[in-house]
Amino acid sequence: MHSTVTAIIEDLSSVIFGKQQQIKLALTCLFSEGHLLIEDLPGMGKTTLSHALSAVLGLSYQRIQFTSDLLPADILGTNVFNSTEHSFTFHKGPIFSQVVLADEINRAGPKTQSALLEAMEEQQVTVDGKKYTLPNPFFVIATQNPLYQSGTYPLPESQLDRFLMRISLGFPPKEAEKRLILNMQKRDYSQLPKRINQQELAAIQTQISQITLSSPVIDYIIELVNYTRTSNAFASSLSPRASMALAKAARSWAFIDGRDFVMPEDVQAVFASVCQHRLGLHNESGEAQVNDILKNVLVPV
Amino acid sequence: MDILKNEKVINYSLSFIYACLIVFFVSHLPLVFVGVLTLICAWNFYITLSNKPKPNAWLANILAGVSLGLMLYTVGMSDTVILFVAMLLLASLFKLLQAKTKKHYHVITTLTFFSLSSVYLFNQSILTTLTVSSLYILNFAVLGLLESKHNLKIASKQSGKLLLLALPLAIFLLLFLPKMPAFWQLPGPKLAKTGLSEQVDPFDIAKLSNSDELVFRAKFNEEKPVAPYYWRAIVHDEFNGNAWLTSDFLKYNNVKTNTQSENDEQLIASYSVITEPAIQKWLYGLAYSSSNSPNVEGNSLGLLRKKSRQAKSLQYDVNSFNFTTLPLGEFEEKRYKYLAYKKNVKTSLLAKNLKQNTHSDRDFYNSLLQYFAGTGFTYTLTPTPMSGDNTIDQFLFENQRGFCGHYASAAAYIFRTAGIPARLVSGYLGGELNQDNNTLTVRQYDAHAWVEVYLQNEGWVIFDATAVVAPERLNGSLSQNEELNDEFKSNLDFGLVSLSNFPAINWLRLELENLDYQWSSWVLGFDEEKQNDFLKSIFGSKNIWLVPLMVLLTAGFCFIGYFIYLNLPKRPAKLAPMVKEFYEVKAWAKKQKINIPDNLTPSQQLDFFADQLPRSAQSINTFRQLFNQVRYGKKPFTKERKTQAKDLIKLIKISK
Repeated sequence: MHSTVTAIIEDLSSVIFGKQQQIKLALTCLFSEGHLLIEDLPGMGKTTLSHALSAVLGLSYQRIQFTSDLLPADILGTNVFNSTEHSFTFHKGPIFSQVVLADEINRAGPKTQSALLEAMEEQQVTVDGKKYTLPNPFFVIATQNPLYQSGTYPLPESQLDRFLMRISLGFPPKEAEKRLILNMQKRDYSQLPKRINQQELAAIQTQISQITLSSPVIDYIIELVNYTRTSNAFASSLSPRASMALAKAARSWAFIDGRDFVMPEDVQAVFASVCQHRLGLHNESGEAQVNDILKNVLVPV
Repeated sequence: MDILKNEKVINYSLSFIYACLIVFFVSHLPLVFVGVLTLICAWNFYITLSNKPKPNAWLANILAGVSLGLMLYTVGMSDTVILFVAMLLLASLFKLLQAKTKKHYHVITTLTFFSLSSVYLFNQSILTTLTVSSLYILNFAVLGLLESKHNLKIASKQSGKLLLLALPLAIFLLLFLPKMPAFWQLPGPKLAKTGLSEQVDPFDIAKLSNSDELVFRAKFNEEKPVAPYYWRAIVHDEFNGNAWLTSDFLKYNNVKTNTQSENDEQLIASYSVITEPAIQKWLYGLAYSSSNSPNVEGNSLGLLRKKSRQAKSLQYDVNSFNFTTLPLGEFEEKRYKYLAYKKNVKTSLLAKNLKQNTHSDRDFYNSLLQYFAGTGFTYTLTPTPMSGDNTIDQFLFENQRGFCGHYASAAAYIFRTAGIPARLVSGYLGGELNQDNNTLTVRQYDAHAWVEVYLQNEGWVIFDATAVVAPERLNGSLSQNEELNDEFKSNLDFGLVSLSNFPAINWLRLELENLDYQWSSWVLGFDEEKQNDFLKSIFGSKNIWLVPLMVLLTAGFCFIGYFIYLNLPKRPAKLAPMVKEFYEVKAWAKKQKINIPDNLTPSQQLDFFADQLPRSAQSINTFRQLFNQVRYGKKPFTKERKTQAKDLIKLIKISK
């Protein structure tokens, strides 16, 4: 199983250069059955990453470009009158896909954002009183422009909480950018080999849920979470959902690392991605603050 | 109404305690009554097991009335102590059968403390003490269960801890708290385990051989005297046709006179004796014994008696002397020659024949011994019962099978017929010697009867016909006698003694006896006198202020102990596997002047050490893997992993 994971990472690295850490985090998020929020400037490879992910994992893929005039029905789908059958038939919207890339989610209005976030939470949509189940696995990758850009509606904290992780890709290293420029021709993601199928993904997810989480690691998670609750430095502290998310993500990270037990290092690796957006820290100083937590909370032996 | 969480466990525990108590009291209570107690106990156990409701008050009251009547009928009013114990057991068991609320169970547990303590009225050996102590722990645990929601295991642990905590205090109290005379004392319970009886009826002692109960222990101060040891207890001087009795004259007119010399030349041995609790006044000594111990008095026969009739174990010192060779008084001589019943015609004839063929008393003595040695007599523990008024004739000329009582009765009769002063003595012969501490253990099966004959110029001399019939009997305890061993063992209740063929068990038995001896002599025998000696040895001469000071000290000790216990720093929690080992490596690294950044994870720290100490890097890496697997992977910390960790630490330290 682990060799498959290594192969997937290699494949993705051949598309997105020099971002191994982010690729691993994205995979972690997917294996943990959580949704991913990518916050970055335009043109950093967000779309590329999500597209490549769905291709490698053999999942269906849809992209929704969020705009200020996008309505919920544009995402979920609508009932259309069929004149030959004299009845309404439901036309599925782009959300009926295993991997959904919600591009620039903070450009749409709150109503549309809520529609997406509700679908993420329930894994089903309701149109005209009728329920439609979303496919499984259902994985939303939302991208978001930094908030200081104009024409954005910031996601409220409660909705940010729905994303298991938030990552930012950041600028590529010089070497990687050089390679980018050299391979500038249009890439075809469907060329990427399909590494696993749906059953195998489910098998991976059960395997991850059986990874040993020993009590010193749990203690460490609790110490970390408690630190944000007792310190005055944070606008909002970490909820129990955050500690569960940490444990879940740490397990997946350990799996990707090829281990069957979680170490404090795994918690540290996923901590910033899992917790930064939940603490209401947005900018770069937030990153430093999160790292401060890791520095200040000693790892129990 | 209080809801009892552990009612079932509590019921089981209390039933168990009472079952143990019933087993203990089996030999002291009438069997019918024991049966009643067992039934109630089993009933309670059954209704607990099958979740049946407890019997209603009417039924229980009627049953209680019936059992009470039965108790009065079977136990009787004569012995108040056993009656008290019986009532206590009955009441507690019925209360248990009725108990529903917490309050009820409180009453029962409190009663149980009394019931448990009453065991000590009958037995104080170390085994009993240990058993009762563990039952105490159980009872305390039940008391704890009434108030807490813990399970029995935790409650027992707690109560055991409490009892252990109380142990130093108990030792302190034993050593230092002034021993005060009791305000009142229970009359000792009449014990069924009496060794000897006032009259020697040969059939009586056959029962004794069946008991391996301890009678007394003797510890020789210096050198042991020459074996065999004839422990004298009772002198019988009157023959009533079947049995030998102690005459009233001997009972009441035996004030010690100065006719017996107690000088050092005549001294055979000096030793101390610890007896088991027994109601009888007689004590045990070799030859002519005298004692300076306060609770013991001697008499002109060289026998020792308790001064008071208390059924508790007693320790006394004895000096034993040879009998005087002074001639008997005229009256005494007459008395020891007197025979009121002379129906054993054949025996009288035999005595006359022997007398005619001998010239002196000594000669007679020897030829009688030869008679017993030669004429087909056998020693047996299971003789043929005899009745009639010529039992000695029957024994000597028909059955010729018997044990010490038979031989002694016959011999004494023959001596008296021949006009030689003789008396029958009963007591114990031999005992089991523990070479390690020079202690002799005498049990009920060592009971013996023999004859003392007065020979001119020799004084009282022991005549033991059993010795020539069964010489092995002299060489030690019955248990060590090979020929009679099988018969002896088949006669014996199942016990450790009956297993003495196995060396290991024999060794164990001797060790246990030794332990019990130490217990008797140091704990049970620690009386006022010993305490005074002990205090003197610490504080010098006894001062008036010593007693109040000790009381104050005791109280202070209690309070200070409690204070310290309250303020004791909490013990750190036990370290998880590999954590201790990790700290060891870390401490060592610190000694190597490596400054470890604080915020590293344990395995990062180990990596850091490996970087700093390239020589030990490999070992540190292996250690790190082991640490991760055990600490985070929850791999069991087996012995192999433990030794691996130890070896790695050694390697790390060596490759500096």
